[in-house]
Amino acid sequence: MNLSILARASILSSTLTSRTLNRTIPHRPISSSSLSYTPTSPNPKTPLFLRPPIFTATLTDLKKFQTWAQTLASSVGSSFTESDNGPCSEILHRELNWLIQDSVQTPDILSLNSDSKTDAVVKLRAELGDLYLLWKQRIEERRPFQYVVGCEHWRDLVLSVEEGVLIPRPETELMVDLVEGVVKERVGLKRGLWVDLGTGSGAIGIGIGRVLGDEGRVVAVDVSPVAVQVALFNVRRYGLEDKVSVKQGSWFEPLSGLEGQISGLVSNPPYIPSGHISGLQAEVGRHEPILALDGGEDGMSDLLHLCNGAASMLEPGGFFAFETNGEDQCRFLVDHMESVHNNSFCDLKIVPDFAGVQRFVTGFRS
Amino acid sequence: MSSIIFRRSYRTSSSILSRYQSFSTLFQSSSDLQSTNKQQNHVSGLESLSKNASGFGSVLNKRLNFSCGSCLINTLPFSSQAAVATSDGLTVDDIVANQWAILDESESDWKSHASAVAQSIRLIKKRLQWTQLKVRLEMLSFQMEKPDLWDDPVHAGRISREHGSLMGKMKEVNGLEQELIDHIDMIKLAHEENDPDLESESVKALLRMRQSVKEKELEALLAGEHDSCSCYIEVQAGAGGTESMDWAGMVMQMYKMWAQRHGYGVTVVDEMRGEIAGIKRATLKVDGEYAYGYAKAEVGAHRLVRISPFDSAKRRHTSFAAVAVTPILGDASHHVQINEADLRIERYRSGGAGGQHANVTDSAVRITHIPTGITASCQNERSQHQNKASAMAVLQSRLDQQEMARQAQMNAQYTQSLTDNSWGNQIRSYVLHPYRMVKDLRTNYEVSDPDSVLEGEIDDFILSFLTDSMDKENDEA
Repeated sequence: MNLSILARASILSSTLTSRTLNRTIPHRPISSSSLSYTPTSPNPKTPLFLRPPIFTATLTDLKKFQTWAQTLASSVGSSFTESDNGPCSEILHRELNWLIQDSVQTPDILSLNSDSKTDAVVKLRAELGDLYLLWKQRIEERRPFQYVVGCEHWRDLVLSVEEGVLIPRPETELMVDLVEGVVKERVGLKRGLWVDLGTGSGAIGIGIGRVLGDEGRVVAVDVSPVAVQVALFNVRRYGLEDKVSVKQGSWFEPLSGLEGQISGLVSNPPYIPSGHISGLQAEVGRHEPILALDGGEDGMSDLLHLCNGAASMLEPGGFFAFETNGEDQCRFLVDHMESVHNNSFCDLKIVPDFAGVQRFVTGFRS
Repeated sequence: MSSIIFRRSYRTSSSILSRYQSFSTLFQSSSDLQSTNKQQNHVSGLESLSKNASGFGSVLNKRLNFSCGSCLINTLPFSSQAAVATSDGLTVDDIVANQWAILDESESDWKSHASAVAQSIRLIKKRLQWTQLKVRLEMLSFQMEKPDLWDDPVHAGRISREHGSLMGKMKEVNGLEQELIDHIDMIKLAHEENDPDLESESVKALLRMRQSVKEKELEALLAGEHDSCSCYIEVQAGAGGTESMDWAGMVMQMYKMWAQRHGYGVTVVDEMRGEIAGIKRATLKVDGEYAYGYAKAEVGAHRLVRISPFDSAKRRHTSFAAVAVTPILGDASHHVQINEADLRIERYRSGGAGGQHANVTDSAVRITHIPTGITASCQNERSQHQNKASAMAVLQSRLDQQEMARQAQMNAQYTQSLTDNSWGNQIRSYVLHPYRMVKDLRTNYEVSDPDSVLEGEIDDFILSFLTDSMDKENDEA
């Protein structure tokens, strides 16, 4: 193989990686080990709150960090909110409390105003110096809080997340409620095979794995190797290895041979129109994988692909639920299903999220 | 002598029975019942007494047949009527009536000890609302005998729990009376037998009882049905902008620190901050035994007088913060069954397109119970799901409290007057300028060190209020 081709390939792949995963981070990694956020690690990082408390600091030094971090959070004011609907100071203060909760073994010690015990030693799950760096990344680089602490609280789960994996959104929690409601009424579906396409951290797959009956199974699919690793980690942490299997591949690819046998199909595919990507909130646009966000020109390319796949993969009476960008996409999808897949689907519904946005399309295979 | 005892106990039991009767009329819905009652009052007092008495006789028989139920039931409601007395016929009431001088504990005088113990027992009975407790207990015993009771297991569970708890209280007080009488008998016996060792040992035992019964006086303050529950404390700023929001924030901080001192778990469930300082409102969850029993004494408006740090002209301001307290009942004791279809669940503070567009760590949820308009919100949990669960718990406790208040109104015989306090009543004044003082307007209890109070030292205010209101209320009764 000729060298110039090799070189071109490597340039191409590195630009691809950085474009997909963290598009515009001009900064070099701050620390070489646990803090760097190059997303190529074959093993998922352990979330902060699960790390052993092997570091120490005096209470005085920890309080100094807290005061410094609070000042930094306050300095933000509403500037992020005004520029791109990012977090305001109040939210950052709350995140700081959670960072302390996750990293300090006995976080209550900070809230008791016992001035006498200033030389008390506190056990930490990260070095105090690293906490400074993490909080700087949060504020100055707008690194998402969930990547900073390595986890996202989602429903009653705490899921590991890291760069390269979409942080599951609160709206998406409702997908599990939708499935729960359906399997309560149609008990047969509870015993069937379910599929979560583009599973990311494994959130939906794990969520529905816990509402299905003993015989129900879930296949969680993602094209990204990082996502597959993280999803596997999360599945194992909840002891669902026998129920939820994670497969790498693009959409329906790993499911060949299962046509007409799937009881339920759920997905939160990329649905943001390409044109909106550049104007996204910094936490999202600069740090989250564009692969999981960009849904093509009108944001519909993956949704339509899923729609067509659902027609051939679902068993008669099988259920599907897709998350969308909002009312326009929901309507488009419903129209598409009614006109193009004439008689393939029934009971089509548009379901709003808690903020009142028409967010989900659900229905059954006729 | 025995005839006197008989007469006394007869008198008490007849009054109980007539109360019982008036209570049972509550269960009849006819509105003209009152008038017929009035007419009958003179003539049929005895008749109704005997009717009720025979009713209890049959209940009694049933009890013997169904001995499998809670063994507490077997303690007859009337057991207390056979007043315990010493071998020479002295009862606890006699001791109180004798008014023997109560001397210092160090004085080894058995009459002084006995008198002190008898006074304590009387106070405990008063605080337990003894007469009403007995009426309530009989009503509960009666309900527990109904064959269809367990058709509604939730209701039955509540009845049997309350019955068990009241029965426990009654047994404990009866036990105290018996213990006092036994001690006196022993002392008298030792004296007659000329056994100074036994006599001094017995007096010492009575002294120990005198000390332990003092603690029971305090416990009796927290004998309300829900006193042992955890609770929510809600603080809301009054009119007056930043100054009152700052004050509301100080009040919330006071409760946080009070709860921490007690070793209670404290979490902020819901908080709406002021733009410049303090809070508009907040809901604290206080987890631990008797959190509600204490905190319910804080319900009402709290007033602050100071030079406002937010007033550039340095004028003196008066602000208010309102405090409400709701008990968190156990899962089995809810008074209201919430129907999912009656709820509107909203995410708030979420602007923009949401979904994949936004990275948020804020997933505030507000739930509205449409039939009553009662709302609850939560934004301090880390997931929307948990925020929703917390808000549901707050909503449940608010609905429960509303229902309990409604029932208490219907059931004026057994009102927990403390929950009646609307949160508009001004209960306490905190003055930082021109002098420094915190004064409770209900009890007139005051301290001159506002800082310690604002750092959570409010136990003395709470205890003086509980003592005062319980003792006053029962005097009126």
